[in-house]
Amino acid sequence: MPVQSVWMIRLSLVSLLLSALMGGLILTHKAVPVHPALWGLLPLHYELAIWGWLVQFVMGTAYWMFPRHLKGPGRGSARMAGLMVALYNTGLVLLLLSSLMGSVKTPLALGGRGLLASAVMLFGGLMWHRVVSYRER
Amino acid sequence: MPPITRWFIKAGMIWFCLGVILALAAELPSVQARALLLPVYWHMLVMGWITQVIMGVSVWMFPRKKRDRKKEQSALAVGAFYLLNGGLVVRLSTEPFLPLFTESGILSGVVIFSAVLQVLAILLYIGEIWPRVQPKAKRKRSKQGG
Repeated sequence: MPVQSVWMIRLSLVSLLLSALMGGLILTHKAVPVHPALWGLLPLHYELAIWGWLVQFVMGTAYWMFPRHLKGPGRGSARMAGLMVALYNTGLVLLLLSSLMGSVKTPLALGGRGLLASAVMLFGGLMWHRVVSYRER
Repeated sequence: MPPITRWFIKAGMIWFCLGVILALAAELPSVQARALLLPVYWHMLVMGWITQVIMGVSVWMFPRKKRDRKKEQSALAVGAFYLLNGGLVVRLSTEPFLPLFTESGILSGVVIFSAVLQVLAILLYIGEIWPRVQPKAKRKRSKQGG
């Protein structure tokens, strides 16, 4: 498994755990009021579940498993892949910070979404030519 | 495909169907409880379907530390399966009734219990899969080391 996939999959597992813990706290608060501020975790719970866990796990696994190039580096530029992981997770952290501050349309949220979008475009670029079959029909 | 993967995927398909049916039912004009059903069907789809299928496939496809463990059923994965599905069943059959029985301590206790089951399921799954996510070189070294 390439190191970029290891990072993405492990960070996705951490996100899953954090999201589940936040979900557990919110559900507990729903059953027995603990503190009204716990509702503030709801957007973080969503963002971590969707972007932190599901999307990141799928990207990390696809980067590992899709057919490799026959010439040159098997998975394309390792630097670009590293940049993709860094941009994605920096974007996620910015997004979580903006959600934590209860702000939706701020430079922080915009920056977070922008970094996530850049990482996804890099992912598309890295994966496009790996969506192939080398078997002759 | 190992039996635990088949369980995860089949349970996931059942949650998928139930989630879509409930989402459809929540949109019916005669149904007044749309807001109460929203978290129910979202969790059916995101936890019951997508997450559960990912769990099942990763338990099957991710490299094991030792090849001879291939046929063994991991206790962690089996535990995650039962806790996740048990937690979801308990949660989905109690959470929508919370606003109707605000004074019920038993109902609140059961809802909290369902939250604990789901978090434990995630912990068991991570315990199963984390050691299997490592770079190829490190995996080779740990195999050679015994």
